[in-house]
Amino acid sequence: MSSIIPSPIARQPWAMLTPLILLTFFGAAVLYSAAGGKFSPFADTHLLRFAITMVMALIIASMPRDFVKLMAYPGYIIVLLLLVAVEAAGSLGGGSQRWLEVGPIRIQPSELMKPAVALALARFYDTLPTGMIGSWRALLPAGVIIALPVLLVLMQPDLGTALAILFSGAVVMFLAGLPMSWFLSAGALGAVAVPLAYSFALKPYQQRRVTTFLDPESDPLGSGYHITQSKIAIGSGGFSGKGFNEGSQSHLQYLPEPHTDFVFATMAEEWGFLGGLFVIVCFGLILAWGLSVARNAQNRFDRLLAAGMVATMFFYIAINLMMVMGMAPVVGIPLPFMSHGGSSMLTNMMCLGVLMMVYRWNTQRHGGGLLSS
Amino acid sequence: MNAYAIDSMVAAGPLRVANKRLEALLVARMRALLLMPAFGLVAVVALMRIASFGVLGAPDTPMSMEQRLLPPRGEITDRNGLPLARNYDAFALWYNPTAMKDGGSPLVHRPEEVAAKLAAIFPELDQADVAARLASGRAQYLRRRLLPEEANRVFDIGEPALELPAEKDRFYPQGSMAAHVLGYVKDGVGHLGMESVLNDRLTDSSLRGEPTAIALDLRVQGALEDELNKGMLSVNARGAAGVVLDVDTGEVIAMASLPAFDPNDIKTSDLMISDAEAKLGRTPRVFNSVTNQVYELGSTFKPLTVAAAIDAGIVRDLSLRYDAKPVKVAGRTLADSHNLGDTLNVPEALIHSSNTVTARVADKLGPERLRDTMRALGLAERPYIELPARGAPIWPGEKWSRVTTMTVSYGHGIAVTPLHLASAYAALVNGGVWRPATLYKVEPGKEPAGRRVFKEDTSARMRQLLRMIAVYGTGQSADAPGYRVGGKTGSAEKPSAGGYRKKLLVSTFAAAFPMDNPRYVVVAMLDEPKGTTASSFQRTAAWNAAPIVGKLIPRIGPLLDVRPDLSRDIDISDLRPLIRSDIK
Repeated sequence: MSSIIPSPIARQPWAMLTPLILLTFFGAAVLYSAAGGKFSPFADTHLLRFAITMVMALIIASMPRDFVKLMAYPGYIIVLLLLVAVEAAGSLGGGSQRWLEVGPIRIQPSELMKPAVALALARFYDTLPTGMIGSWRALLPAGVIIALPVLLVLMQPDLGTALAILFSGAVVMFLAGLPMSWFLSAGALGAVAVPLAYSFALKPYQQRRVTTFLDPESDPLGSGYHITQSKIAIGSGGFSGKGFNEGSQSHLQYLPEPHTDFVFATMAEEWGFLGGLFVIVCFGLILAWGLSVARNAQNRFDRLLAAGMVATMFFYIAINLMMVMGMAPVVGIPLPFMSHGGSSMLTNMMCLGVLMMVYRWNTQRHGGGLLSS
Repeated sequence: MNAYAIDSMVAAGPLRVANKRLEALLVARMRALLLMPAFGLVAVVALMRIASFGVLGAPDTPMSMEQRLLPPRGEITDRNGLPLARNYDAFALWYNPTAMKDGGSPLVHRPEEVAAKLAAIFPELDQADVAARLASGRAQYLRRRLLPEEANRVFDIGEPALELPAEKDRFYPQGSMAAHVLGYVKDGVGHLGMESVLNDRLTDSSLRGEPTAIALDLRVQGALEDELNKGMLSVNARGAAGVVLDVDTGEVIAMASLPAFDPNDIKTSDLMISDAEAKLGRTPRVFNSVTNQVYELGSTFKPLTVAAAIDAGIVRDLSLRYDAKPVKVAGRTLADSHNLGDTLNVPEALIHSSNTVTARVADKLGPERLRDTMRALGLAERPYIELPARGAPIWPGEKWSRVTTMTVSYGHGIAVTPLHLASAYAALVNGGVWRPATLYKVEPGKEPAGRRVFKEDTSARMRQLLRMIAVYGTGQSADAPGYRVGGKTGSAEKPSAGGYRKKLLVSTFAAAFPMDNPRYVVVAMLDEPKGTTASSFQRTAAWNAAPIVGKLIPRIGPLLDVRPDLSRDIDISDLRPLIRSDIK
């Protein structure tokens, strides 16, 4: 590289970093407005978290492949143990709990589990001989790897995260080349199982979220309130929005959670269709870059790992967007890089860190990342 | 797992493995390509959804900002904008025995302890009753309309089963004042008074943002209720009714029916009475005796008869003396309550309330003309007022016999509501034009045309005569100095199954002021007054109803821009010499 830009900077994946940084700063602007035109308490911490997790992502990106492979199963098991510890602490504390307090740090193991499952599955299919991909041996261990955390997270209970883990696991299995007929029959089985799960597995408040999603206007003051207010906010934005700091739905607090789960509605009210287009294009660029990393991967492990990370992020984005537009139940999943929330920022930056790592593996067979070059 | 890999490699050989690897790579590429459109589809759907919200507009819901800011029900104010009915956020105290969700005892403490704590907050609660209701384990309201601080104290008891759901409630800041005019609201629907009449308007989202002003004047209403109540209590009357009417517009400035009820706290006993009480002619408290109860109003009818006779030219010479001996007609004898002398002229007959002379004047006038005048004054139909509770008069039919004509002339054999009488008196003094009474505020210049019942000069003569009754006759205790009051007493025996009952009276005073330029009619009525020290052991209107008006007018006159003036009065000098002062 004969540029004046130093090569450690020039070789970073700017195709992804540019939309990411734009998106994060746009998110900070929306949070600034949601706080009533103040940096505190949302926008400043949002940017601080981005900076910290970015450093973390760069550290991840510099990890060598062998080390990652080595750590795949132990990492998965450690996070699984943490999940069990949360469950134990919850039952001892006399209520449901999703995080562990270790000194000043609050760890939410179910968030760590999303990349951990993808990593473990990638490692598993990496070691599985290609000829056995159509046999039960390809399915059963992978099923256990997915099912254990899903069940633990469901016990918390956190339906959204459980579905996210299930989804990224399924995407890794799909790319690993499991027979297509299995996915089709699993889909058919799911269609049968969903009504049963609705009746027996979901708590009443979760059931209500689903029924409200199907007909939000049936209960506009109760459970449908979130969706209805969110739709009003998005619709009132029009083409170019009401303008920065002018959103009445969020400022007058009709919109629930204007800074976390419904940040997209807050944004759309003030920035309109153009703002929505910008956000979706940015996400599209990031995800497309992630998929290209997966496609260009040199081997099976790299590819599956990258695809799992893309699937995890995609699930966040897709479910959140559909939720605020009334096309999915309100499950409490934040929008990556825009919502105010530490654990979602951590998970998504971890996924990006892993993607950057695979990108580095793809482009530089011998070089290190920013830190280890 | 590596064991599998070594196994298969040994079995298949390196070439086959390489083929398999290539195949797997292809599958993975294909599938990654399959995922791409799936991701893209979500993005496209999301964009289309945003666009459709923007173009078609978001679904409109009752939670729009404008509707949120509207009161749940329009407010009602008096004619000056003072609040009569408003909304407020209250709490209910709801007992939810399943709130604990553990299947055990619904309460943390014993029901007796909780009841004692509740009774400490709400002294009117029956502690034993509340304890029994808590112990019963049935979900129910323990109390409605809690103030926020009371709700906080209930919350501090720390019983999850005591729930405090927020309620939108109707509040009548004046308590029971004007209760019959306003009515009350139950479960969002107005009942009884203007709450019922205006229900559609008060709930219409395009109108309810603005308060609705009605004709009442809060201050006059308060004075009327106060004086009626004092008068009622001082003579142990069973009930009282009163109305203040604008003579030129028909606006009801005040209207009261006592005993009243509290629209903030409707009790079953307000709404219904036992059959035994109903047989005695009693009515529940929500019954509006001004518009719904008909009475034989007695001598207050005499000015109406005299005005009809003057108007018809039957009475031209007011000095003409009529025979005042008992009238024998159709086998009955109509007499005065006490001997007023052998002859009386018309002014004397009104001043001393002579039945016999009024009957002879009516006899001369004839049944048709008296009937037509009474009908023109609206006495043959239900009173004109917006309220749903309007009593039908007892009207003696179309063919009046001679004796009917005579009894009607002094207010017997015909029963109307006090409001009928007030409207008729307004026509009597305002120049002769009858107008319907209304509870809506009438803008200046927008008053209804009405219909002419009396000639202008008849009305002028009646103003003189009514003033003379208050100056020289039975209405003297209503003659508030400086207010130029004129009016007529009426004391009618109440009918019952066995004929008239001498001891049970309805005593009425119908007045107008100031007589030189009448502005307002005041009617006060007492139901079954007793003879007490306050009334010098008399039951007739001169001793109980007239003093109420005499005390009321100085209170309301200044509020209604009528100033007391001792130097002004209607000129009665032409009639004054006709009055002999020797009759008692």
